Amino acid sequence: MSFSKLDLATYPFLSSTARIIEELGVSFYLEELLSPTSEVFLRSLERIREAVFYRVTTLRRRDLDVEILSHPVALLIINAMEDKRLLNIYAEAEKNRVHEGLIRESHERVLLLAVDGFGWHIHKEGDGFSLRFDDYLKASTHMLDPYWKLVNRSVRGGYVEVSRKDVCRLLAEAYRARILEKGAKRLLEGLPEDVKPEVEGLRREVDAALPKGKAAGLIERLEYNPSAFPPCISKLLQEAEEGKNLPHMARFTLAAFLLTVGKRPEEVMELFRKMPDFNEEKTAYHLKHVAGEIGSKTRYLPPNCASLRTLNLCPLGDSTCPKVKHPLVYYARMLKLARKRNHE
Amino acid sequence: MSSRDSENYIKKMFREYYLKWDGRPPKEYERREYGFVPSRKGDVLRHVSFNDWREMKEFLAKNAPLHVYYSSAYYLQPSAQDMESKEWLGADLVFDIDVDHIYTPCKERHDKWLCLDCNFNGKGMAPEACPKCSSKRIDGKAWFCEECLNVAREETEKLVEDFLMSDFGFSEEEVEIVFSGRRGFHIHVENDVVKQLDQKARREIVDYVKGMGLILEGGRKKAHAPPLNASGWHGRIARGVYELLVGCDKEGAGIEEGTTKTICEKLQESKGYWLVEGDVCRAWLSLAKKAVASKRCNIDERVTIDVKRLIRLPETLHGGTGLIALRIDIDGLSGFDPYKHAVAFNSGEIKVKVAEAPKITFMGQEWGPYLNQVVEVPTGLAVYLISSGNAEVSP
Repeated sequence: MSFSKLDLATYPFLSSTARIIEELGVSFYLEELLSPTSEVFLRSLERIREAVFYRVTTLRRRDLDVEILSHPVALLIINAMEDKRLLNIYAEAEKNRVHEGLIRESHERVLLLAVDGFGWHIHKEGDGFSLRFDDYLKASTHMLDPYWKLVNRSVRGGYVEVSRKDVCRLLAEAYRARILEKGAKRLLEGLPEDVKPEVEGLRREVDAALPKGKAAGLIERLEYNPSAFPPCISKLLQEAEEGKNLPHMARFTLAAFLLTVGKRPEEVMELFRKMPDFNEEKTAYHLKHVAGEIGSKTRYLPPNCASLRTLNLCPLGDSTCPKVKHPLVYYARMLKLARKRNHE
Repeated sequence: MSSRDSENYIKKMFREYYLKWDGRPPKEYERREYGFVPSRKGDVLRHVSFNDWREMKEFLAKNAPLHVYYSSAYYLQPSAQDMESKEWLGADLVFDIDVDHIYTPCKERHDKWLCLDCNFNGKGMAPEACPKCSSKRIDGKAWFCEECLNVAREETEKLVEDFLMSDFGFSEEEVEIVFSGRRGFHIHVENDVVKQLDQKARREIVDYVKGMGLILEGGRKKAHAPPLNASGWHGRIARGVYELLVGCDKEGAGIEEGTTKTICEKLQESKGYWLVEGDVCRAWLSLAKKAVASKRCNIDERVTIDVKRLIRLPETLHGGTGLIALRIDIDGLSGFDPYKHAVAFNSGEIKVKVAEAPKITFMGQEWGPYLNQVVEVPTGLAVYLISSGNAEVSP
């Protein structure tokens, strides 16, 4: 099956477009593309701006060659800027653009795009499609709405029933995931000197336009107020204070939460001291890990609600806290509410 | 006689077994990491790999370890010392059904536990922590009786037939059932579809099998009930409700006869989803919840989610029982008797001093109960009692 140039520009996940992206990394054209006067370079910057300012990129039909190349080059630029937040926003904006295109396609075309772009095992079934469960899971696991949970799906013989609308959404999500995966690797040693001023300019625009990362901003604003804790954390805290023996993941959750909301490792240590199998050395080591002081140097956040449910640490079980996917979000909302009440 | 004599005896018997051992290697065995527990007090020896299965056989014959494990994962460098440099390539999909984690009423009769810190003790399923002093140092004495075996078998059949084969479409050849060697079964799925699944995807499969996060559609007044032949959980719920209503478990309903009749008839007739309203809806929802509880499969989720776990190598001995971790056909599962088919030592008898053991059917014959007495028992039973810490060899 061959696709038109317009298809390749619209759906950068198609195998032919993907090949261009792969090859670009080593191509000697790259220098030509990454120059201040290159049309592709200029269009790439614009693509990034569209993502930042409108949260959706556009499709220019005027020069499809430029359009096709501008996506991989935009990805190279973002990669060189080493801004994870920008990568997320760009991936999301591309996802949105692609999704808008997909929903206008026919059944047959959706099928072709899925097979060529992602090698999905998919076939028509009644009004919708059947998609093999591993392809379904790879595209759906980061969607938190229970609608997408496998358990709520019709599954038979290794295939999941999906509507046309579902497939469009899953394809767009798979595309987003692919951008994030690509962007996480180091693609370039650095940008050519002569485009650096342009890219620095872009960085300033982006910094001005984007508020601090949601999580980072959220954490900075958190203060310590146990009365606003979500039920899962309150329960763990109470059990820890009673000196109950908590399983490993329960301790991790509690420690990560308390450290995030401003407790110092020494204070958390005192809490854990009450546990019957307390081991000072081990606990100190674990706490340092969670706090990001040793090991991978990542500061750990507590698990999200879905994980807590699987780990049996959610005291609400199948019912949930309203509209909350993460215990820290619950906490932030309750704090806000408490502040408001204090004001009144 | 001392416990050292007992340990030597077990070592001798294990070596005898491994001298003749001819176990089948797992798929791509040279990509796996192996782990061994050499003796009761020894640490686990990890990060071992073999390029030739003959080396594995020689290793086992020479060392006669108490436990032999292999990784469900495939690695580029399986013998690398830290997980990062092993370079993960994929993993089988593994399930663990262990009666240790499933409540069975018979445990009140044959299981006991003791808190090693405060000596508090009780009968039945061992708690995770001592209810008196919260210590986690709990020593349990657990037995695997006919009733426990039935529960483990039922859960395994449910997992393999209803979930893995019917819903996930795996073939009989791709699914391997292995007796864990103690109180349950391990189910391994070896195929290329599952190999690349990440932890998130495996968690979804766990939630699916356990019926976690399932949304029962409809409100208190109105709902759409699925037909018996619906796929996935919807059909499972419909069939579960039907079984509750027509089965001997009628009290499971607690619902008046008229409503029962309506739901039964509707389920028999309906080809598609049908509307339930009012009282019938309330009854339907409560029945559906019960159906989920009876249809869900009781697996230990940690084993399935962990993509770097070590699990017992099929056909090796379990150091806590001396029984073989035997591969079993799905057709052979219902007739499987661990105290007959998984017994490694079949000849001779030996005298042992038994501290305590309930009545047990071993090789088709009843033995015990015993309490502080010296008895002559078949070698296999002696190895079982000694390995499980309930007996010592007697002069």
